[in-house]
Amino acid sequence: MISNTKCECGHQNPVGTVLCEACGKPLLEELMQDSEAPLEMRYEGAARRSQKANPHLIDRIWNFFSSVKVAVWLIVITLVAASLGTFLPQESTILNLHTYEEFHEYYKSEYGRTGEIFHALGLTRVYDSWWFITLLVMIGTSLVVCSLDRVIPLYRALSKQQVRRHWQFITRQQVAYVGDAPQDREAWLDRFAKELKKKRYKVRRDGDALMAEKDRFSRWGPYINHVGLIIFLLAVLSRSIPGWNIDTYISLDDGETEQIPGTRYYVKSEKFTVEFYTDDELPESMKGKLRPKLFNTKAILYECVEACGDPTREPVLKKVKEHDIRVNHPLEYKGLKLYQYDYTPQVKLISVSPKIVNKETGEEYGPFTLRMRDPDLTYQVGPYTLTLRDKFMEFGGFDAEGRPMSKSREPIAPAFVFIIKGPGLPESGETYIYFPRDIDKVIFQQDVLNKAIADKVEIRVSSMEDVEFSEFTSTLNVRTDRAMPFVWVGASIFLIGVAMGSYWHHRRVWLRFDGDKMALGAHTNKNHIGLRREVSGILARSGLPVPENTLDNRRKSH
Amino acid sequence: MKRHRKTIQYVVLFLVLLIGGYAIGQSMFAKTPVLKAGDRPPEFRLADLEGNVHDSSEYAGKPLIINFWGTFCPPCRAEMPALQKVYDKWKDEGVQLIGINLSEDRLSVQNFIRQVGTDFPILLDKNRQVEKQFGLKQYPTTFFVRPDGTIADMIIGGPLSEDQIEWQVRRLIES
Repeated sequence: MISNTKCECGHQNPVGTVLCEACGKPLLEELMQDSEAPLEMRYEGAARRSQKANPHLIDRIWNFFSSVKVAVWLIVITLVAASLGTFLPQESTILNLHTYEEFHEYYKSEYGRTGEIFHALGLTRVYDSWWFITLLVMIGTSLVVCSLDRVIPLYRALSKQQVRRHWQFITRQQVAYVGDAPQDREAWLDRFAKELKKKRYKVRRDGDALMAEKDRFSRWGPYINHVGLIIFLLAVLSRSIPGWNIDTYISLDDGETEQIPGTRYYVKSEKFTVEFYTDDELPESMKGKLRPKLFNTKAILYECVEACGDPTREPVLKKVKEHDIRVNHPLEYKGLKLYQYDYTPQVKLISVSPKIVNKETGEEYGPFTLRMRDPDLTYQVGPYTLTLRDKFMEFGGFDAEGRPMSKSREPIAPAFVFIIKGPGLPESGETYIYFPRDIDKVIFQQDVLNKAIADKVEIRVSSMEDVEFSEFTSTLNVRTDRAMPFVWVGASIFLIGVAMGSYWHHRRVWLRFDGDKMALGAHTNKNHIGLRREVSGILARSGLPVPENTLDNRRKSH
Repeated sequence: MKRHRKTIQYVVLFLVLLIGGYAIGQSMFAKTPVLKAGDRPPEFRLADLEGNVHDSSEYAGKPLIINFWGTFCPPCRAEMPALQKVYDKWKDEGVQLIGINLSEDRLSVQNFIRQVGTDFPILLDKNRQVEKQFGLKQYPTTFFVRPDGTIADMIIGGPLSEDQIEWQVRRLIES
């Protein structure tokens, strides 16, 4: 221990103490030399907890994070990085691109040289990058260490305050008064204490010394708001826990049901609709163009209750919610949110309900329902038996071997190959190729393909009412953010801290006599003018009129 | 009191290392949906054409070829015979080949398989779930997986020739 940390009052102070913990006497050499200057009252002049004579590694790391200067720099760097990340769309918001090269090409073609530089510097993937997370972790550490190092000494200093303080401690406060002592000290002190109590001060006396204090709790405001910030930061970091943060996209045709990856939930789009602005609603320059006004996905959310993840069975689904998903009106269920993201116009058949016509007699049978995806393999329609032998989702292609093939797996131009048995047809049945869309019947010449049987039977739909189709593919953005409740808790605690620290002021008044002189000092951490007015008022009501401005102990040069 | 202070320091710094380390580690090794050589392919559970369920774990310890294919994709169709030939030649050495169909109807898959006459196991993806897990963007895509379960190579596009597949299989066996 260094010898000068011992005060003349006999108290042993830790290294780095500015004002004696017991009596408040200034301890630093330079403070003693200028005996007039107001005192620096930060943290009550107590030493920061971690200040040590011989720091070793752990202490050095601790001291680094304990520095407010370091904290400010960390915050500045983080703010700059975070704002640079807002210039170009982040990689995570771009669908269907994954590799470094793909993103490089994308930013180069979309934003030219700037895009290339931003991508190369990593500014197109700021918020999930290891260095940004490292900055957040460091800020978090700094918050904890800075607060611990300051709140503990401050708490200790404030909870064991001596009533009788050093003469210099009192006269060097920013609000100070030195004058002649009143005749009857005891009686005057009683009167003064009564006036202080009227202003909600808690008054303590020790012989002829007096100390009054109010609203000390406001000093804890900054630390409570730090606790809020730490919860906030932890919540942000917790999003990397698997399952805590889902951000993915699902494309659904009308009537299609798909599983939400990584969950027990399935979502179905009953129908997507889009409404366009009419010309009357558009400004002159946009007339005649299609401007979407409202997208709406009529969605149903299901929960899988049985056969989930069994590839041989269809999952048993239970409806849990029905909602019209529109921009800014997501479907919400237990923290799961489905937002409208995009749509693509593409007509796809869902099912048709055709009839079978006996062309020789004109008799009609049916209708029967033929689904495009996973259709039944046999149909009994009137006297006819249909067996589905093959199907094509988008008929029209041939492979290298000359075999007919589907051009895609989407029901865009479906074709079905049936074996039909029934009246007027051979025992073994006859092959019948059926194109549900009239246009395909013409393009692929259904009647020519079917040859003789085309004169005997026909499968056909009588009206559009028998055709179920999807006009649009709707893309939904699926999100869960289980950290959100913690973000809100953190933010609320933060605000409580801010309010505590901002709307209440910690005010203290010390008074002592020395010979026939009386010294009064008062301290607050904000609103010095208010404190001077209050002290001046209390003194006046105690029979000692002192003008407000003469209480101001701050140097004119300051 | 001093000892107390030291404990707090160690506890705080330990928690920082734990939580911070986890968060930073997660961000550094964040899984991209795109697989590359050295990665482990995602797990899957799919039914074959006969309705039997296969779990990806049953192929552990064997050199494995996973071929994603669809009847609507001409190069996929074209490379089927080559895959079958290599499979016939190497299956006795323990080489596994599975063809994962790209979420088509069983009927279409069965018809095509009957046409080309392959007999290696065909698994049926449903609703593109497995395809999404593998981060597929183009068809066909073929993964060559070492016996230790890591991807040795992946070939996007096709059709693959018999020589190409055979060369990959030899590499798998030598590893």
